[in-house]
Amino acid sequence: MIAKTKRVRDYKQLNKELPTLRYVDPEFVYINLTTQRCEEYRLDVKKGDYVKLGQIIGERDGCFFKQPIYSTISGHIEDKVTKIDGTGIEVECITIRNDFKDTYDETITDRPDSVIETMTQKDMVEIVKQKALVGLGGSGFPTYIKLATEEKIDTVVINAIECEPYLSSDYRLIKDQPDEIFNGLKYIMQALNAKQGIIAVKKTKKALIEVLENEMKRFQNLNIKIAKLGDYYPQGWEIETFKNATGIKVPIGELPMKYGIVGFNVSTTESIYEAIKHNLPVTKRFVTVNGDGIKFPQSIRTRVGTSVKDLIKLSDGFIEDADELEIVIGGPMMGSSVKNDDVIITPTTTSVLVFKSVDHKEEPCVRCGSCVYSCPVDIQPVAIMNAVKRNDTEALKQLEAGKCIECGLCAYVCTSKIHVTDYVRKGKSLIR
Amino acid sequence: MKIIEKSAPHLRKPNASVIRMMRDVVIALLPLVVFAIYNHGLTAVWILAAAIGSMVGTEYIYYQIVDHVKRDRTKAEEIKDKITGLNKQINQAKATYQENQNKAEYDETVEKLKAEIRTSKETLKAYKQASTKEENKRFHLFNRQFTLYNYSILVSGIIYGLTVPDSTHVMIVIIGGVVATLLVKMIFGGMGQNIFNIAGFARAFIALGFGAAVGVSNHLPVQDDGTAGATVLGQLAGNPFTETSAFSLWDMFSGIGFPGAIGEASALLILVGALYLFLRKSFDVFVPLVYVGTVFILSTAVMFQQDIGWWYPLTHLFSGGLLFGAVYMATDPITIPVTRPGRIYFAFGLGLLTFVIRLFGQYPEGVVFAILIMNMFVPAIDYAKWSKSKFSKKSSLIFSAIIVLSIVAVMVGASNV
Repeated sequence: MIAKTKRVRDYKQLNKELPTLRYVDPEFVYINLTTQRCEEYRLDVKKGDYVKLGQIIGERDGCFFKQPIYSTISGHIEDKVTKIDGTGIEVECITIRNDFKDTYDETITDRPDSVIETMTQKDMVEIVKQKALVGLGGSGFPTYIKLATEEKIDTVVINAIECEPYLSSDYRLIKDQPDEIFNGLKYIMQALNAKQGIIAVKKTKKALIEVLENEMKRFQNLNIKIAKLGDYYPQGWEIETFKNATGIKVPIGELPMKYGIVGFNVSTTESIYEAIKHNLPVTKRFVTVNGDGIKFPQSIRTRVGTSVKDLIKLSDGFIEDADELEIVIGGPMMGSSVKNDDVIITPTTTSVLVFKSVDHKEEPCVRCGSCVYSCPVDIQPVAIMNAVKRNDTEALKQLEAGKCIECGLCAYVCTSKIHVTDYVRKGKSLIR
Repeated sequence: MKIIEKSAPHLRKPNASVIRMMRDVVIALLPLVVFAIYNHGLTAVWILAAAIGSMVGTEYIYYQIVDHVKRDRTKAEEIKDKITGLNKQINQAKATYQENQNKAEYDETVEKLKAEIRTSKETLKAYKQASTKEENKRFHLFNRQFTLYNYSILVSGIIYGLTVPDSTHVMIVIIGGVVATLLVKMIFGGMGQNIFNIAGFARAFIALGFGAAVGVSNHLPVQDDGTAGATVLGQLAGNPFTETSAFSLWDMFSGIGFPGAIGEASALLILVGALYLFLRKSFDVFVPLVYVGTVFILSTAVMFQQDIGWWYPLTHLFSGGLLFGAVYMATDPITIPVTRPGRIYFAFGLGLLTFVIRLFGQYPEGVVFAILIMNMFVPAIDYAKWSKSKFSKKSSLIFSAIIVLSIVAVMVGASNV
């Protein structure tokens, strides 16, 4: 109501403690050839070709970086199809029929620790770039660019906050593979020559803190600490995490590297470990299937490229008594809703949420100010909304609409159930 | 089953709603209503009924008329309109024919249009036969925007009723309610669009429009001795710095048998309501705190300047509807700024104005006037260029300077009263 709201009901208890279902062998996988950023591609294989797990089958292009495309299973290439990816856009995909043998490509070999110990930043950046690693928290930003920074880095922050409601894929990852995360952090610290590493986790996730503290005993020689941060939204927003974990305030719009700090998502850290140690690209990931529109919510460890239809089938399908459903890829606060269930799991897909669609009755705005009080970047959503209605770009600039991070809190707290975030988004695009 | 696309966020806060907020205000007002009826008997019932009835009724009738004007057009009317349009096209074709004498083209067009008219008329006939009486009814009255469902007009009505002095004629109350609802709420576009506090405007309107007829009676039903005459503020207006003898501070705090507006008397019950609203987070607690705090600080300053007792600031706190206005009228979110600093500036302005009006003016309605005046400054406070949602160093510096200046100004002013 009329007060600062930072808590968002988290709904995680639904499935965070359930065992993870292993579903790593779908009959077909669909590897996306284009992404939101890269709209061009080159395909090196043709229909009928046999590919191995971890083999390069092409290259994405069309933006400021190039990215090899990897096969995530071994099997035969089939047709090109059009599917939807996690951002809700249509992408071209290549179908691979699984031969259920998981034959690894010749290049997928373990690096001995002695070799890794002598590696420099340049070597590691090259591996990370070669393995097409991206920010797995959902951003999809190439990891090698962050890792190749030339600024002096003091602190590496591993973001394990996962502040979005419903999501528990990072939670499951930390519980299952804490060793990989610590090793990944070790490699990052080695590459950047950083003095300390911080793993930021919500203080309410006691189970994770136990696991991490236990694991930390094996990494005594490294300066790693666990930052237990408050349970509120958007704690996982990079700048907020940095501020609370290290006390460094990074101004919005500036690169954190300038301030001697760099952040990686916990899944990204694990993927860096896989790439450097096992020379593997991202082939598997944890996906949360959750929401009130699905019969049996659970976490699934699945192959990248799996169809979401399969995962929904594994979770007993949609509930029957709903007329309209929403499928959200990503968190409920910031994730995008897709137009049908013909979606593929890409490396950046954290979750598949199915909700009963609720049409909130909009009341007139009563200027209660909840959105202003709750905004994490201290702008005034209600004033921006009114400026958008007037088409007043001058006022939008004065109100700093561009600062918005689209966290969705303004619409979440709105007493009139107005979709304030949509208006602010419109405002941002008006002054861009 | 259908899969639909929506934009993020896909979650909403479960217990945040305007209806809950407004209902909370009604609940917080209920003890005051009961107390008003206990204190003033039937008079209070009549005044409250008139205030609520006039506001709710005006809004109801207004929306009836608006909805009638914008009523959903029936299909029959649409077909009729189409036929009129076709006839106009024939006339146009005639005009063109007279200009260019192209007989063949004219015949062709007219024939086509006439055929269309014929089919339209047939559909109209078929439609009229087929449709039920309901659909053909000329007057469709809806209440799509009638805001009684979210309690907003009810809240205004109760607050207005509670601020009216007990000897006011019921007709005056009704006139005030109707005028305020029409002028302040309806013509600005209904709920959420009004610039002035509706209840405050109604109260000010009857005070200025009917003057002496809006007053306090000499005898209250719960009083046995009939000593009460003027209100505390009325007495203070005569001798600003002399303690009144008729009422103790406890009288003012509890409000039993205390003359004045029917619902503003009991500071105790108002504080209970405020506590409820605070616990439910249904109002912004900073506004009443800063408002009352400002009045208290300014009157304390005057107390030191005049060298009189603590009764002076306390009398100001507990009299003249300051608490009532601060808790129920100054917190109406529609007519106050949206940022926290803005709300604090606003509340400070209210306190300053209220105290200045009380000190130098003769009107007992200082609170209401202050609220209406500050309502006018809301767009200026919220102006995009300088409105910020956090205090900056510069703004807090200027604000503290203004506070000090106003304390000095009030003390200098008090020495010249």
